[in-house]
Amino acid sequence: MISEEQQDQAALYALGLLAANEDAAFESELTANAELRDLVRELREAAGNLALTAPSLPPPASLKHRIMREIAMKTEERTVVPLRRPAVGWVPWAIAAALAVFCGLLAVDRVRLEHQLADIRAVDPLMQTTFYTLAPSAPAPADAKATVVWQPGRQSGVIRISNLPAAQPGKDYQLWAVDAEHKDPISAGIIRVDQNGVAQVRFKPVEKAEHVKAFAISLEREGGVPKKEGPILLVGTT
Amino acid sequence: MAETPTAQQMLDQEMIARIGRRDQSAFSALYDRLSGPLYSLAMKMLGDPAEAQDALQDVFLQIWSRAGSYDPDQSSVFSWTVLLTRSRVIDRLRARGRRSRVVVASTEDTPTAAADASTVESAADTAEKNDEAARVRYVLTNLPPEQREAIEMAFFEHLSHHEIAARLGQPLGTVKARIRRGLLKLRQRLRTL
Repeated sequence: MISEEQQDQAALYALGLLAANEDAAFESELTANAELRDLVRELREAAGNLALTAPSLPPPASLKHRIMREIAMKTEERTVVPLRRPAVGWVPWAIAAALAVFCGLLAVDRVRLEHQLADIRAVDPLMQTTFYTLAPSAPAPADAKATVVWQPGRQSGVIRISNLPAAQPGKDYQLWAVDAEHKDPISAGIIRVDQNGVAQVRFKPVEKAEHVKAFAISLEREGGVPKKEGPILLVGTT
Repeated sequence: MAETPTAQQMLDQEMIARIGRRDQSAFSALYDRLSGPLYSLAMKMLGDPAEAQDALQDVFLQIWSRAGSYDPDQSSVFSWTVLLTRSRVIDRLRARGRRSRVVVASTEDTPTAAADASTVESAADTAEKNDEAARVRYVLTNLPPEQREAIEMAFFEHLSHHEIAARLGQPLGTVKARIRRGLLKLRQRLRTL
């Protein structure tokens, strides 16, 4: 038997109106009362149906494309990141093996080993994935951060930014690859963060960058600039 | 005793299970089915298309990442997604202190709402969905006005029972009773109609 007071609580709970402390107390009551749980579920269903009384408005078709693209990127990210583990595990063994060869067999030709390593890297593109962690520099917020997953073989990467507020009107954030063989940083495109200060985009530098030492984000004029002008907000190496 | 899920609810559960296994086609199908009502809800609560779209994006990304934790014993997929949508919308209302801009519209006093529903209905909306919406609207309209008002204030404006009591100038106990009775009637009538 459910009391009137429990019904009151169940109705408020179903509508999400209980305060945090009341919520916790009621949830512990729910665990011990199956009848009350059923009532809550039914009231929640009834409340959920209220959404159908809102004037019907279809979302724009572009929204679905936006969401599906985001999902695809998340999926891709999930498949890329874990695969680094074998690469990380493999490298020390390769180095150790190489050192052992150097120590034990002085006659081994170092140049030949480097060629072998290059051959292996050419076969396995995952060996070429490099991670850069970008830290804030003034005037960026102290908790702003970004991570770049860079694949030099493909000359493309993915950057994820968080806690960076949207650029002020008339300005844009621009990503730069700092390459050892280029005098100036190479533009890797404009990046726009969402209202939560988050962005996750795939990028490709406008010029070939084979020896990237660092990535940086600067604040530039709207639409971006061919050569960095504005202040650096985030910068980082491997 | 909990009710047996309908065919549509079982279909939704199957889609969620597939989404949990990272099936993008199931996600696309669920989006097609639910984005209309969820966007309409977000629009009614926020009154701003750009914000409603952002909220809907958050909700569907959450569905993608949390499909594996969906519990059919707690609620149907539709109610779960409504809950997620309200939660995201409420976060936005809180963050921006924009409660004053909420579109307050009861079923009774918004003839334009019905007109909107008939004129801007997406071609993708099925007749079944329209029937369901009409059924819920009919049941809600036929609740005692004071109960309907309290429920709508709680659901669409996310006012607490304390805030509703203050706005209506009624004792807290009266407001709680109106919400309880209204919701119980809504449940009962939706079951039998």
